[in-house]
Amino acid sequence: MSKKNFGIAIAVIAVVAAGFGAWMVMIPGPTAFASGSTVALADYKDANPTGVPKEMANADLIARGEYLTHAADCVACHTAKNGGQPFAGGLAFNLPNIGTIYSTNITPDKETGIGNYTDAQFLATLHQGKRADGQNLYPAMSYTSYTYMTEADALAIKAYLFSLPAVHAPAKENKLSWPFNNRSLMGIWNAFYNADERFRPNTAQSAEWNRGAYLAEAMGHCSECHTPRNLAFAMNNRKKFAGALTGGWRAYNITPDQKAGVGSWSDNDLATFLSTGHVDGHGGAGGPMGEATDNSLTFLTAGDIRALVVYLRSVPAQDSDLPRTVTTPAPVSHREGVTAGLDSRGEKIFAGACASCHDWTGVSPVSKYATLTGVRAVNDPSATNVAQTIIAGVDRTTVNGKIFMPAFGTAYSDDEIADVANYVTARFGAKGASLTAKDIASLRKQVAQQ
Amino acid sequence: MVTLQINGQAHTIDAPDDMPLLWALRDIVGLTGTKFGCGIAQCGACTVHVDGKAVRSCMLPVGAIGNRAITTIEAIGDTPNGAKIQKAWLDIEVVQCGYCQSGQIMSATALLNRTPNPDDSDIDAAMAGNICRCGTYVRIRQAIKNAAKSV
Repeated sequence: MSKKNFGIAIAVIAVVAAGFGAWMVMIPGPTAFASGSTVALADYKDANPTGVPKEMANADLIARGEYLTHAADCVACHTAKNGGQPFAGGLAFNLPNIGTIYSTNITPDKETGIGNYTDAQFLATLHQGKRADGQNLYPAMSYTSYTYMTEADALAIKAYLFSLPAVHAPAKENKLSWPFNNRSLMGIWNAFYNADERFRPNTAQSAEWNRGAYLAEAMGHCSECHTPRNLAFAMNNRKKFAGALTGGWRAYNITPDQKAGVGSWSDNDLATFLSTGHVDGHGGAGGPMGEATDNSLTFLTAGDIRALVVYLRSVPAQDSDLPRTVTTPAPVSHREGVTAGLDSRGEKIFAGACASCHDWTGVSPVSKYATLTGVRAVNDPSATNVAQTIIAGVDRTTVNGKIFMPAFGTAYSDDEIADVANYVTARFGAKGASLTAKDIASLRKQVAQQ
Repeated sequence: MVTLQINGQAHTIDAPDDMPLLWALRDIVGLTGTKFGCGIAQCGACTVHVDGKAVRSCMLPVGAIGNRAITTIEAIGDTPNGAKIQKAWLDIEVVQCGYCQSGQIMSATALLNRTPNPDDSDIDAAMAGNICRCGTYVRIRQAIKNAAKSV
């Protein structure tokens, strides 16, 4: 290669690398997909998209804070599994190749909680990801979403949290590998990936859309689980809501895509699912979405749920590798259907442990919550959520009573769980999974709480 | 208040919608032939019929039943297949301790309702969820086959 050609090659590589780098760091904002222009909240003339819904206009600060704390679902991450005290922290986030981060105590305990936080310190936590001592938080705390929250709403949440009983619960020490154990490096990450700006309403969109956008982005932080992340672990809004694997569970595609997303759901289906965690024909939420429903979404007013639906409907459809869900039940006899003649171990376990509630058809004779037909998780050939549900069971306290499925994680081996998950997705879903014991071990590790 | 159609009779009971049928049967209606085993639909002792199908009553909320016909072990002998199954059970003395047997008989009867001549695979698919601590499985299998052959 001549010197000149070599120089050109280097230049091309440099330009491509710079372009890739710019593409990586210049992620569009969470609502950038919407046409129209945005204004500062103070300049927005229509109904205020922030704060509590109008039904609560006269509620006191703590009641408003409680509604907003539900909407922001703080309790989900700030409560340890298996009977942890609400808001006292201790939930483990297992990040592959990075380590384990524990959520912290946000009760008003002065020693181990946030009892000494000033308003300014609390705002810096939510908007800039900085704790009281000025150190950076890790973005496991969803401050890149909460940064869009208004000061008034953040301080209402603070007032509510400070009205709760103080719990003495020291934070567990994170177990992070180098270089991730260096909090100061997060400053660089923040410069690229934390917008540190408040919600700006879009004047071309309806007031309802703006309310939905505020609830989804600044409060409910849907994207934290449902939007795929880029190499730098930032939410990639170019694939907004296209689905992602988060904490060992698959958060599904919630874009209006007909096949892979929720495009085939009616508005009522979506609203019912969001507010109760179940809708006939599409099944129920389990795992983290079950928690998000019972801790957060179920407390939202019908108007706020409608606003969320309007907003969800507006995001660009994203295709993904998920097949269309099968909506017809499997045959009555175990001998018929796509699993006929397999006589597998999965089928034997299903017969003993599953069929009495889920039936050989997949349509439960016991509870509509146990029907497998049409459920997205069952129609996901990765069987991730099916396997996690078999391992962890379901134990939800909903507005419509208790929903329970036993946890089989300690009763069955990794081999057996893989076989059942493969059988269930083959018999009742679009395509059978091919999980192995190794996959199950990995899934267990991703949700492990130690 | 919930109204249930149990063994051909309407019973109006004072129970919340989410009470499992098993509780209503045993503690309110007084039909104690249906047994409590595990409470999480993993053993089959509480099996009853709802419209002729085997259902675990420990997980079935009374509010979800509506007008569908509930049949329990107390009345299963009044149905043709129930009578055949019970006779086959007595003929070869299937029962040992007996605790699970109400559920076994209810599941076996539901199997015959759907599949008049079940083979081993059908029996496995229908009966695997009914467990027996005494291990009477071999006699259960035989009794089901005998009942299917009987007239």
